Amino acid sequence: MSDVLVQISNAVIEGRLKDISDLTNTALSSGLTAKEILDNGLMPGMDVIGVEFKKGKKFVPEVLLSARTMQASLGILKPLLAQTGEKMAGKVVIGTVKGDLHDIGKGLVGMMLEGSGFEVVDLGKDVSPEGFVNAVKTSKANIVAMSALLTTTMRSMGYTITALKESGLRETVKIMIGGAPVTSDFAQRIGADGYAANAPAAVELAKKFITSK
Amino acid sequence: MIEPYLQDKNIPVTFMEYGFHRTPELMTPALQEQLDRLAEPSVVIIGYGLCGNGLANLKSGRHTLIIPRADDCITLLLGSYQSYMTEFNAEPGTYYLTKGWLESGSHPLKEYRDLLEKYDKETADWIIDEQYRNYKRIVLVAPNQQELEAYRDKAGEVAAFCQERWNYRYEEHIGSDDYVKKLMTVAHQLSESTDDFLVIPPGGEVKQEMFWR
Repeated sequence: MSDVLVQISNAVIEGRLKDISDLTNTALSSGLTAKEILDNGLMPGMDVIGVEFKKGKKFVPEVLLSARTMQASLGILKPLLAQTGEKMAGKVVIGTVKGDLHDIGKGLVGMMLEGSGFEVVDLGKDVSPEGFVNAVKTSKANIVAMSALLTTTMRSMGYTITALKESGLRETVKIMIGGAPVTSDFAQRIGADGYAANAPAAVELAKKFITSK
Repeated sequence: MIEPYLQDKNIPVTFMEYGFHRTPELMTPALQEQLDRLAEPSVVIIGYGLCGNGLANLKSGRHTLIIPRADDCITLLLGSYQSYMTEFNAEPGTYYLTKGWLESGSHPLKEYRDLLEKYDKETADWIIDEQYRNYKRIVLVAPNQQELEAYRDKAGEVAAFCQERWNYRYEEHIGSDDYVKKLMTVAHQLSESTDDFLVIPPGGEVKQEMFWR
């Protein structure tokens, strides 16, 4: 892999905001496309952070700085991605579930989905089941992404799925869930279509959803 | 809170270190190690709730485990699951201060001071705001008036910081030692799980869903 991509990955992992703009521009002028920088520089960096965080080797401040670093690079790449990047046939409604105000992970996933070509409707935090239902109705989204950070609030993911069923929209969307206490077991139990352990995994899952449709 | 119930009794106690709620993935193996170290088959009272899945997949081995059916320590401090739900519904965006968290320095003010030592002010400001800007209320909770008063000054300092920065309102709440009392005095006699306690027989395993009511 190109040296500058490794440097971009490392800058993301170490949260070196001050270096990322120069590195991104260097990568672009060396002929790399925005998509290559995203997929092979930024994503692998966030992947490492996600894994280290789960293991307790990185903490929230470090993850935040990594996300901020990635966001700065994405800011440069975004207009280019819009011009040349592949468009995903996916529209994602994303939000943190009812009673839960933690939006860091959700924001990160939204940002990366957008960078990867998805259209993203971010409902914010504390989103009720009805809030998700209405957003799916009006946006005609084909993916619903829910986040929760608490074992007390993750149950609301199940209520949202029930609400989608009751409104007849369940079959029109794929549902993915994530957040610290969420597991793939839980996803299966409440009838979600998938679970992602971190932001890059969420992007992979969303891509899988739209290609398997 | 458990100290009064240990006096004059010959109950061996192991205190775990503070802070496992931040890394639940490290909590399960740490608890497992302590359990496996007990040679005699025993009835083990666990002073944790589900704690962000910190207890999930814990195996009882040759022991019987008695576990409060609570999501976290706040339920134990408030005295019941019902009290917790009342508080949660009143204001989901509540940050709790307790004797334990104040003493161990697990609160936004201490975190901010730590961040200032590690990062420049702009970065520290950004990190702390990202983490705490969504809460609305900060509550000092103690099981009795005496403890509340003993920690009022310390809590007030943290609350003033949060109020100035994010406009939190400060409240004090006298909880109850009912839950802890039951845990320490009668729960060990249970032969099967109840609304308030899980009983994990030898050869069993703790599961996330067991905590749901």
